[in-house]
Amino acid sequence: MNAIQPPSTIRRIGLLAWLLAAVMAIAVLALPGRAFAHAALVATDPSDGAVLAQSPKRFSITFSEPVSPLVLTLVRPDGSQLPLTFFRLNDQTVEIDNPETLRSGTHVLSWRVVSVDGHPVGGSALFSIGAPSAPPVVGQAVDWTLRAAIWVGKLFLYAGFFLGIGGAFSLAWLAEDRRLGQRFVATALLLGLVGAPLSLGLQGLDGLGAPLARFASPTVWKTALETSFVWTVLIGLIALGLALLSLAGPASLRKLLATLALLGAGAALAASGHASAAEPRWLTRPLVFLHGTAIAFWAGALAPLGLALRRQPSEAQLFLRRFSRAILPVVAVLAASGIVLAIIQVQQPAALIDTSYGRLLLVKLALLLFLFTLAAVNRWTLTKPAEAGDTEVQRRLARSIRIEVVIVLAIFGVAAGWRFTPPPRALAIAATQPVSIHIHTLQAMADLSITPGHAGQTAASMMIMTGDFGPLDAKQVTLVLSKPESGIEAIKRPAFKPGDGTWRVDNLVIPVPGRWNARLDILVSDFELVKIEAPIEIRAE
Amino acid sequence: MKTYLFAAGALLALGTNAALAHITLETQEAAVGSTYKAVLRVPHGCEGKATTAVRVQIPEGVISVKPMPKPGWTLQTKKGKYEKSYQLYGETLTTGVKEVDWSGGNLPDEFYDEFVFRASLAADLPAGQMLYFPVVQECGDAAARWIEIPAAGQDEDSLETPAPGIKLLPKK
Repeated sequence: MNAIQPPSTIRRIGLLAWLLAAVMAIAVLALPGRAFAHAALVATDPSDGAVLAQSPKRFSITFSEPVSPLVLTLVRPDGSQLPLTFFRLNDQTVEIDNPETLRSGTHVLSWRVVSVDGHPVGGSALFSIGAPSAPPVVGQAVDWTLRAAIWVGKLFLYAGFFLGIGGAFSLAWLAEDRRLGQRFVATALLLGLVGAPLSLGLQGLDGLGAPLARFASPTVWKTALETSFVWTVLIGLIALGLALLSLAGPASLRKLLATLALLGAGAALAASGHASAAEPRWLTRPLVFLHGTAIAFWAGALAPLGLALRRQPSEAQLFLRRFSRAILPVVAVLAASGIVLAIIQVQQPAALIDTSYGRLLLVKLALLLFLFTLAAVNRWTLTKPAEAGDTEVQRRLARSIRIEVVIVLAIFGVAAGWRFTPPPRALAIAATQPVSIHIHTLQAMADLSITPGHAGQTAASMMIMTGDFGPLDAKQVTLVLSKPESGIEAIKRPAFKPGDGTWRVDNLVIPVPGRWNARLDILVSDFELVKIEAPIEIRAE
Repeated sequence: MKTYLFAAGALLALGTNAALAHITLETQEAAVGSTYKAVLRVPHGCEGKATTAVRVQIPEGVISVKPMPKPGWTLQTKKGKYEKSYQLYGETLTTGVKEVDWSGGNLPDEFYDEFVFRASLAADLPAGQMLYFPVVQECGDAAARWIEIPAAGQDEDSLETPAPGIKLLPKK
């Protein structure tokens, strides 16, 4: 990193350019066609709702196309989970060995599989041994190992973007002696180069709900390449590469490369994530870009500046002067963009306390307050004497900057935690999301969506087809929702045709959340009625 | 014991009531290869409304259908091809009545009436199985469809609107 040899550098630039081109080409080629249909459940054995006399030796799940299983679980009547790891693929059927003799009561066979198009499909079937009992509560199991890995990957990425690229920028533009802090910056850049592909693979795992052990599976990477996060990683890798080049490259290109890298870091951050996905995007994306570049500028300069002040105080004065002159507008941009983004994401002040996203924001704000206080003291009381050459003050300043770096790292850690907490804005949108099921029988199939998918005032929309995907011009469709164990009478509502090929039921009031049985009575002709049914999970909110 | 008897009695009464509320056939079994007089019993209208039409679909294997006219009702039949040809008294039948409609009448909800047709049950119908005659009962704009046929293994009593049917007996 220290030896600067122009010819080899040029060769390195060329190599990097080819590498980037190759990565891009693979990414584009790997994006699969979307013509495949998602796998639909055809049958389970035991079938949903079945009551068996004794424990089955094996289970089977049949889909409309071949699938590959991600997670197969059996939930026992007491709610404990048994991972099912021994299975065979037999054409479109997944045959699973049952490792234990089941006791009496209601069990849930739950699955998560990927269809050919890489789309995950999840579902469950309830069956009972002996006699039905109260169905076990299937909690959303959180894969903490995967979460920790995602968090670390994100932290590495932030280190690369902010400390690495930001550091390279400050070394190129602000520092006098570029050797100080160069190793630190290069390490951060390498962390970023590791963190970027790592995060991408983890993103794929998370999208599929697959465990960490399947990190190397092609399906996982295929899924990851379909997410918007792939752009963050691609642009990020380019920016990290440019920053490395600015450290090692020819002096004439150093400032240009570092600037491009800094802009790239901002662009990479703006390419995906909660904040960039918020409406209005014409506003949020540029704001995330500004926020990211400002963080990189500030956080990146801290370590080289601190090192310079400690090791060579006499030469650090120019660095300090340039930094302190530039930092005020940068912090203004950082704060302004951050405040606007926070307002868009949180929407209501109450959400700051009610949601985990809001609470993380409060923690981040507290850390920021501390950081700003330190920075303000540095800027207005320590900088002047330090610039003038007061060695004692310079040492204090260096120590203070070290604390700042630690706080900055803590802030990155908190910000990386946002990966797991949907912002209040997204929670509000999620509440209005429909719940949909696909019912497939030999005579007929239907897609039923209930919007919003929670108890209360809803509307149902149904798409009816024949069992072999042909058009089915039904004379009449009736939706029957029942929840026998709740003591509520079945809700029977005729559907009407709004004229777009679907059937609708408006003003459908679903009184309680939980597992309902949805049945469609499809009058195919005057004398022929087809009834198809499947369970549908209605959310509480 | 008393409670048990009472429960059984209540169940029986309820069961009978449920059966009475459906459109049913008076004679519930007949031998294949015989002539069958179908008497459709209409116990009520559609959710309180007066019955204005009764339409019966004739299943495959039921041939040479002759409906009985009814004063105050317009009688119509829809003819069509059978799925295969049938021999009856030395004649080969390939087409015949597929649907019988009595319409334009008015049977108030509180009254009872019967609709009659006569037919031959083909000799090759599977003895021991059920044969269903889906019925659509129209009441002005409303309709009740007695057209549900139980799937294999399904209990007929679990259907909300079962089609009337008969049990096919072996040929005499």
